[in-house]
Amino acid sequence: MTTQTPKATATRPEQPATAPSRVLPEIPTWRRNLRPYLLSIPALVIVIGILYPFVVGAYYAFLNYAAVNPNPHFVWFDNFKSVLGDQVFWSSVRTTAIFAVVATAVETALGVGLALLLNRSSFIGKIFEKVLILPLMIAPVIAGVIWKLMFNPQFGILNHVLGLGNTFDWLSSTTALWSVILVDLWIFTPFVAILVLAGIRSLPKEPFEASEVDGASWFYMFRKLMLPMLWPYILVAVIFRFMDNLKVFDHIYVLTAGGPGVATRTLQIGAFEDSIINLDYSRGSTYMLLLWIIVFITARYLVSVLGKAQRRAAGAES
Amino acid sequence: MSVDRVSARGPQMSRRNMLAALGVAGAAAASLPVLSACGVGGKPSAPNGASAVSGGFDWKKASGQTINILQTPHPYQLSYQPLLAEFTDLTGIKVNVDLVPEADYFTKLNTELAGGSGKHDAFMLGAYFIWQYGPPGWIEDLNPWLQNSSATNAEYDFEDIFDGLRTSTRWDFVTGNPLGTGGQWAIPWGFENNVVAYNKAYFDQRGITKLPNNFDDFIQLAVDLTDRSENRYGISTRGSKSWATIHPGFMTQYSRAGAVDYTFNGSELIAEMDSDTAIDFTKKWIDMQHRAGPTSWTTYDYPNATGDLGDGKAMMVFDADSATYPKNKPGASKEAGNLGWYAGPAGPDGNYKTNLWTWSWAMSANSRNKLPAWLFIQWATGKESMNKAVEGGTYADPVRKSVFDDTFKRVAADQFGYLEAFETVIGSSKIQFTPQKKFFDTTQNWAVALQDIYGGDDAASRLRSLAKTNTSKVNL
Repeated sequence: MTTQTPKATATRPEQPATAPSRVLPEIPTWRRNLRPYLLSIPALVIVIGILYPFVVGAYYAFLNYAAVNPNPHFVWFDNFKSVLGDQVFWSSVRTTAIFAVVATAVETALGVGLALLLNRSSFIGKIFEKVLILPLMIAPVIAGVIWKLMFNPQFGILNHVLGLGNTFDWLSSTTALWSVILVDLWIFTPFVAILVLAGIRSLPKEPFEASEVDGASWFYMFRKLMLPMLWPYILVAVIFRFMDNLKVFDHIYVLTAGGPGVATRTLQIGAFEDSIINLDYSRGSTYMLLLWIIVFITARYLVSVLGKAQRRAAGAES
Repeated sequence: MSVDRVSARGPQMSRRNMLAALGVAGAAAASLPVLSACGVGGKPSAPNGASAVSGGFDWKKASGQTINILQTPHPYQLSYQPLLAEFTDLTGIKVNVDLVPEADYFTKLNTELAGGSGKHDAFMLGAYFIWQYGPPGWIEDLNPWLQNSSATNAEYDFEDIFDGLRTSTRWDFVTGNPLGTGGQWAIPWGFENNVVAYNKAYFDQRGITKLPNNFDDFIQLAVDLTDRSENRYGISTRGSKSWATIHPGFMTQYSRAGAVDYTFNGSELIAEMDSDTAIDFTKKWIDMQHRAGPTSWTTYDYPNATGDLGDGKAMMVFDADSATYPKNKPGASKEAGNLGWYAGPAGPDGNYKTNLWTWSWAMSANSRNKLPAWLFIQWATGKESMNKAVEGGTYADPVRKSVFDDTFKRVAADQFGYLEAFETVIGSSKIQFTPQKKFFDTTQNWAVALQDIYGGDDAASRLRSLAKTNTSKVNL
């Protein structure tokens, strides 16, 4: 940074002043040196706020800490052996994987489709664009409560409208997982649609105009032009949704509490049951640490795929 | 981890990749804090505070102080809400009330007590929770307070509280020992017998005058009452994935059938959910849900069950009498005035064993206001306030014999069958569960097993698996 001194101004009186020069006070060296550290404090606080509970949680995973055992000691990998040897854990892994993969895939497909439809600037499209945001304005817990009422066979609107009588159970052991995925789609498909729509609107028009002049079909343009350029935006949506879906808890807990049986018991619900309901903190922490490993690996993979897609979209890679 | 650059020194991670990896790790780490953010690992409990109180008893002894209490919305809580001002007038103690819905109440309480904050000085507590909150020292033993004449009014008369209820809130936390031993961890405030409430108006309309006295006839009646095309079904019970599914109607009838949850062999508890009697009863219970229960039984908590009775959809409910009692009050439900009660089917030997639940008042061991908290508990469970609460009309089953025999019998006299059902079961009403420190874990497992059987699993093999798991858990 340079500052103009009064003396320097006085040596050039012929130059009309276009704007009054701002004279900044001299900053002491110690303050200048301190500035980077002060600026990094908020980030540091946030990092500590995340890392401290993480480290404590990871530490608990190696203890036998529970409410009924308030003086724990190290049991090293006993919790991991116990959890990994429990078929309920593997059932939770399976449920979490099915939920995350199916919900993310369908949300992405529907979101991209909606974004393409909304990109056509029609009056209805503009209204729909605003209405689409509404589910995102509702907290997943509230959405869960609303859908639980709608799913109710006795007085819920779904069975009534679909003519299913009062004997179809949306939350039975065979239907519950698909019902909670349906609720997730309702809440989060607009998120993908809005993200992709923003991407579509930021794309350059020239390649599309040139292709149109050359007589390319809409599908050809979509496949060869739009999709490759749009791919980084879609991947960002996929990363957000997939990580979020691996950690899903709120609306599932409200709808089924992980039941019937273990039909919708995801890893987060398993951790909640063990640590908060059963007060077995070490076992709950073990669940969370294993979930962290899964989230870390998948997120790392998806971020590397996103990097490649971004470079490809920018023409840096073929 | 991907490597972008390869130098003479081997693969090196770029700064961008390092930042990306840290970002991902941070984002993933954010998934973990749910546990430790709950404040797990709180400070050790404070010593019992009763000995610090000396001199003569005086309600004004803690005048000017403020206490925080935690409650869940409930007919008992609603009945006492208007009386709190009288407590403040009597003692000069200000009471701040926090209300948390029952579905989240114990989650909130677990987290708070585990954190050791002592934010709430006194709180509503069910007897089973003593088994889990007592061993880590989260709750105050109230026996020293009861014994201290400086802290307890001479007119309090603790023995006036039904003996079974006083017993149910005591335990020494030794596996295999019965209730009634050890500290007094809570003071009973209200209790519930699990009996059958039914739509008497509809029964009268159908000419049903004889109520079934054995379980097979009871199931048949429930099936006969069910007509899905008219959105009417025979029997509503809890079925959600929660320990609370087991304790009301299920545990009551299970006990009447002659089954028990555990036996003690002198050194360890043995789960008995897979005994022949237990398997046979469980099959019948689940069959009843399929044929005459609510369609989405696996999501049913008590508000759903009692709500359907009040709405005229369920013809019978096997649940807490005090939860169905308010539904019969004018304006409280569509079927208000149409309900009746009876003890439910007897066991094969004619027994009326009944599982009870008691809402009690407990004190946080880490409370910084123990004397005012104790004065509040003493007032809330005292004769005078309880009489007034019962007069309000929605407070059923007062825990004091004097209040029950006098005020409650008068107030409830017009509730068809209520007092008769009460008198039928009260001699056999107690906590039918074996006290043990893994109650919630093992009892939720039991509910999961019922849901699995409801979903099609073979009852015998599923219950054998449950019993094996629970035996290993309770003896850890």
